[in-house]
Amino acid sequence: MFEKVLVANRGEIAVRIIRACKELNIRTVAVYSEIDANSMHVQMADEAICIGKAASSESYLRIDRIISAAEIADVDAIHPGYGFLSENAHFAEVCESCNIRFIGPQPRAMNALSDKAVSRALAKKAGVDTPPGSEGIVEKEQDALAVAKRIGYPVMIKAVAGGGGRGMRIAHNDISLVKGYHTARTEAEKAFGNSGVYIEKYIENPHHIEIQILGDNKGKIIHLGERDCSIQRRNQKLIEESPSPLLEHKFKKLRDKIGKAAVKIAEAARYTNAGTVEFIVDDHGNYYFLEVNKRIQVEHPVTEEVTGIDLVKAQIEIAMGEPLKYSQGDIEIKGHAIECRINAEDPFDDFRPSPGRIEMYYQPGGRGIRMETHAYAGYTIPPTYDSMIGKLIVTGKDRREAIDRMNRALNEFLITGVKTTISFQQAIMQDPNFRRGVYSTSFVEQLLGGARRELIEEKA
Amino acid sequence: MDLKDIKAIIDLMKKNSITEFELEQQDSKLRLKRGLNGGSSASHGDETVPMVPSQTMAAPVISAPTAAPAANTGEIDIKSPMIGTFYRSPSPESASYVDVGSEVNPETVVSIIEAMKVMNEIKSEVKGVVTQVLVENGKPVEFGQPLFKVRPT
Repeated sequence: MFEKVLVANRGEIAVRIIRACKELNIRTVAVYSEIDANSMHVQMADEAICIGKAASSESYLRIDRIISAAEIADVDAIHPGYGFLSENAHFAEVCESCNIRFIGPQPRAMNALSDKAVSRALAKKAGVDTPPGSEGIVEKEQDALAVAKRIGYPVMIKAVAGGGGRGMRIAHNDISLVKGYHTARTEAEKAFGNSGVYIEKYIENPHHIEIQILGDNKGKIIHLGERDCSIQRRNQKLIEESPSPLLEHKFKKLRDKIGKAAVKIAEAARYTNAGTVEFIVDDHGNYYFLEVNKRIQVEHPVTEEVTGIDLVKAQIEIAMGEPLKYSQGDIEIKGHAIECRINAEDPFDDFRPSPGRIEMYYQPGGRGIRMETHAYAGYTIPPTYDSMIGKLIVTGKDRREAIDRMNRALNEFLITGVKTTISFQQAIMQDPNFRRGVYSTSFVEQLLGGARRELIEEKA
Repeated sequence: MDLKDIKAIIDLMKKNSITEFELEQQDSKLRLKRGLNGGSSASHGDETVPMVPSQTMAAPVISAPTAAPAANTGEIDIKSPMIGTFYRSPSPESASYVDVGSEVNPETVVSIIEAMKVMNEIKSEVKGVVTQVLVENGKPVEFGQPLFKVRPT
């Protein structure tokens, strides 16, 4: 039983974790950078320790300072949230060697899925299809051209150490491939400290379907259904939903198949705790493994709403050594849930980040509304981290009700002082293709190109 | 010493989080230094992170963050540059590094902050006279926490 947990994160996910701990009667320790002194997670936690200046590299990414804080606060475990150090195997190892439980997958599972190329190889071995592409890292320009010739254009050049939608580019011919190959390597070196890239066939009109998995420390792994995250802008997710309208309407049997494939891959990696296995599904129902996200994800509430399972609590319980409370047969998908990521960005100005002080803040309420946020009236969004204000999760008895309820909720939402994506997400809720459930990852670009500004009314 | 021995030493360094290793023998000298991001594993979409300080390091001297003038009194705070446990003397039996009234110059060691079994000497960074000791011996301190007030001279 954990007495105290340190939350090595900030913003809405830190609040989420603190809430789960409180409900489990676990004391919480927040760590924060100087600029986050007034942040909600600092206010909510039982103890709070300042760990450095605003820059993440001086604070939330400082393993030494986080461990020092964990030591002086005498915690039993650390929850890393998402981003930051959540998928850093070295951090997980340091925690364990300091006798602090890491609430996430065990280091050996992280290492088995250490980068995207390694994960591809593991999936292949487990008998799961991956998009046609290179065997591992592409070392030379000639190899890149050879791979592209074999699989055919268009292709994706991806950084093996990339994540969160970063480090990918498309090439449509030899010229753009060569240029893209070298640029991608330079960018990857700068962004991830690893210039390794691999090449995959670019699947047209892809649907991004991901499977939530949970595994205990005894080797039992189950899946909790899918989330459809195809509504993206520049590879950043905007809207997620469960169940996937594509699977519900067209490929009902795929849920079981893809779910089983996800569990197979997790078992091959001897995965523990919470994770997400990402797939690409094309219009013909072919599915291909993309990568494993070895952490709790931003959009986890969507799965929680349709399965009734608290994933963060499950993470903590698994880390405490408890066996999984559920078997695959216990998991039922009921109703429909949609999440909108409310970001401080201006959709009328190419989604430029809009940090600053939130003046008025009134969040939607009523039936089926769940808001995950650290924001409040008077809170200043710092420019140093991501632009997320919070996540609005709406549940309905079916997809139609969920969409109408989300539209109603977005309409009620009042945030002044910063620009937000709310009006854009409302336009999506009203879009006929989205409502029909017919969309792929090209949806947002098409919507933006179609200039549906007449549907959007900006609040004063 | 052959490659196998060197590889064994490197593995031991990795396992025990040792950053530097130097061995001088009669006819040879070996010096190994590890990089900052924990060795060969790729970072996972996050920036690279500094390594945990190792047990073999001698007490490192760490500079405090820029001293800020305390409001209204003209005094300057000596702030903690790290997180750990604050000690006023080099060992339980010795006298405190400084007390109220002690004269300090920038190089004066004023306290130890212990983190992960490493004792870090904290320097004053300012020239003046200590007017207040703000933290009790043995108490935990966080980044930026004021430790002493100094009247600059």
